[in-house]
Amino acid sequence: MSFSPIPQLPEEFKVLSMMHNIGAITPERSLTADELSQWTGIDVSTVNAYLHKLREGGYVEFIEISGIKKYHVTGIGIMKVLTLYS
Amino acid sequence: MLQVKDAGSSMRVAMITWEYPPRIVGGIARHCEGLAKALVNQGHEIHIFTLDFPGAPDYEEQGGIRIYRTRSEVGHPNFLTWVLLFNHFIEKRMADVSRLVDFDVLHVHDWLTASAVIAFKHFSRKPLVFTAHSTEHGRSGLHIPDSFTIDGFEWWSTFEANKIIVTSNSMKGEVCGHFHVLGSKVEIVPNGIDQSKYEGTVDKGAVRARYGIQPHERMILCVGRLVPQKGIEYLIHAVPIVARRRPEAKFIVVGDGWYRDHLEWVANTTGHRWRITFTGFIPDWDLVALTKSADVLVVPSIYEPFGIVALEGMVAGVPVVASQVGGLTEFVEHDRTGVLVYPRNPESIAWGIDHVLSNLGHAEWLVKNAREVVQKTYSWEAIAKRTGKIYKEVASGGQP
Repeated sequence: MSFSPIPQLPEEFKVLSMMHNIGAITPERSLTADELSQWTGIDVSTVNAYLHKLREGGYVEFIEISGIKKYHVTGIGIMKVLTLYS
Repeated sequence: MLQVKDAGSSMRVAMITWEYPPRIVGGIARHCEGLAKALVNQGHEIHIFTLDFPGAPDYEEQGGIRIYRTRSEVGHPNFLTWVLLFNHFIEKRMADVSRLVDFDVLHVHDWLTASAVIAFKHFSRKPLVFTAHSTEHGRSGLHIPDSFTIDGFEWWSTFEANKIIVTSNSMKGEVCGHFHVLGSKVEIVPNGIDQSKYEGTVDKGAVRARYGIQPHERMILCVGRLVPQKGIEYLIHAVPIVARRRPEAKFIVVGDGWYRDHLEWVANTTGHRWRITFTGFIPDWDLVALTKSADVLVVPSIYEPFGIVALEGMVAGVPVVASQVGGLTEFVEHDRTGVLVYPRNPESIAWGIDHVLSNLGHAEWLVKNAREVVQKTYSWEAIAKRTGKIYKEVASGGQP
């Protein structure tokens, strides 16, 4: 039986981890997809796709201000990020 | 020069940890909570310094435990820089509180909050106890620059501590060997368990039904962070082998982590994806009910300093099949309190599961023996007594 090597971190996890590390963990500290694109260097459409997937998993949530969505990490999102370091 | 305390009195303890409920990542949060509760019951004054969490207050008292949650006011995309920043804010909070509280002992859990506490130790001249729950060397190996930095923090913590606590003999060997620490500086105090959580009965049929387990099916449970060192990949590879012998087997994997996508991909390759449910994180009450309703609990870790999940299975009355690694081997005695199997070995894991499911009378005997061991040795009261003794020893200058 052969086992697969340990994979690289999924890129959406890098977005989640970045959001956590820069403090986007409460609604008032939420960030737009544009801002997250600048932080991560990943293009906006890809960031939006990752945010969609992360939201489906319950790891991020958004608030909407003047039609613009701003995202923050949820409690279980924080717990998921921290599994990398403990 | 350390300030010296009368060894007969109760202690004022600053306990510092990056995770404390509701911020629960791994076992450290539960460890700190159980220990803090028991220490308070024994007359000690416990002040927890930890990080903020959405919905949790900046300060609260829970059953006499004073909890200070510190918001990291400045973030940074680099994880290690973020760690240093939040340490700065924790140190500030400790300095504020220390104007009102004269701590006797500082007790830090793992490397993540060590830099704040080491600085505070030198400022306050109070003794430092460091609990090494695991090491970076054991968790991930030392393959990337960040791991070397973390390893350096861990070494620094062992160097600065007046006493080091580890949870198993295996971890003592790891800490002494890797960090070149004298054995006399390291005390083994195992993890404890809140046995009252597992008292009472649950409607097993209803719990199992919620997770898609039919009455005739067998539920094989695995609980842990979804990270490589938990070895869950090897359990998933064991699923087809178990299924050949036990067509009624279903597998529930509880937990989450950065490795989850990969594990789900591995599950998809087994041809038995329908047998495997990934639940993600679930509430504590549900985890207790699920554990009590399982037919087998599997702990397939490839690195495990202690293995509290196995202990939880033992007290919940479910037979435990665990890898023969680390701390697990110190309380799971093969074919007496559980079943030990070879790590990284799906055939062996499958054998262990089948061994338990094949003989229900023997499984009941394993459970009975396991409960006796847990009740005798792993109560928080006993563990807090041992920890309190270490506090008194360092506070009275027993260790330079």
